[in-house]
Amino acid sequence: MANHSQLGFQDASSPIMEELVEFHDHALIVALAICSLVLYLLAHMLVEKLSSNAVDAQEVELIWTILPAIVLVLLALPSLQILYMMDEIDEPDLTLKAIGHQWYWSYEYTDFKDLSFDSYMIPTTDLPNGHFRLLEVDHRVVVPMESPIRVIITAGDVLHSWAVPTLGVKTDAIPGRLNQTSFITTRPGIFYGQCSEICGANHSYMPIVVESTPLPHFEAWSSLLSSS
Amino acid sequence: MKGPLLGAMFSRHVKRHPGLVPLIGFISVGLGSAVLYLLRLALYSPDVSWDRKNNPEPWNKLGPTDQYKFMAVSTDYKSLKKDRPSF
Repeated sequence: MANHSQLGFQDASSPIMEELVEFHDHALIVALAICSLVLYLLAHMLVEKLSSNAVDAQEVELIWTILPAIVLVLLALPSLQILYMMDEIDEPDLTLKAIGHQWYWSYEYTDFKDLSFDSYMIPTTDLPNGHFRLLEVDHRVVVPMESPIRVIITAGDVLHSWAVPTLGVKTDAIPGRLNQTSFITTRPGIFYGQCSEICGANHSYMPIVVESTPLPHFEAWSSLLSSS
Repeated sequence: MKGPLLGAMFSRHVKRHPGLVPLIGFISVGLGSAVLYLLRLALYSPDVSWDRKNNPEPWNKLGPTDQYKFMAVSTDYKSLKKDRPSF
């Protein structure tokens, strides 16, 4: 989950998010190099005498056209690769539906018979000690770890958005439309996210909690919930 | 009275400023790939319907092993072994 003073991304819990973090680090270094160069040149201009010796600058024009073009290619190629990689959803082990309402999420595991529940935020007045304020929910989305999960997202009333930053997932929930996304959790754990599209008074109070457990525990949970 | 043609003026200018050549090259590559990708989308994307009489809804005729995206990173569409979704 996020801390108050964190600067960077949360630790990645899915392979796609790992790729995104690496690309972000790469792009940030490129940006740092360019900014350092510009700052150096600016400082140099401020302390050097002005002269009009060089008026025809064909060679330097070559350099400062070709180098930025190479930099742009170095940014574009990994970016496009990750973009296309995010689109590939092959053979998910589990499909679950996330439906956004004002102001809670409801989940349906229709691979099983009759497994669906609503997920409301736990109000701060009812929050046990040590739990995370405005992030905990009464029923978490339990998924088996290290398995491809497909999530189909829609909304029941207004726009919402299903986002879990550590999994690298953010997909809009649009009434009348089914949006598909997928993720694989690389480790067991509890992953938090919040609704990411303004949806009314309690938009900040409808979080998402994904709980990733080994398969036997997931099966125990699902049989418990679908029988009750 | 006609002045020099646009093409002649252009090539004379570029010969005097050879540093502009890579700029023209990269801009052409960029604009060219944008136009070519738009053409690819217009002609080959199953979401586009040109002929309302003979082929009104091409998105209903998708094959299970056809690749519609420009680049497939890790999915080998030719050897995908499914002809229907698995439920």
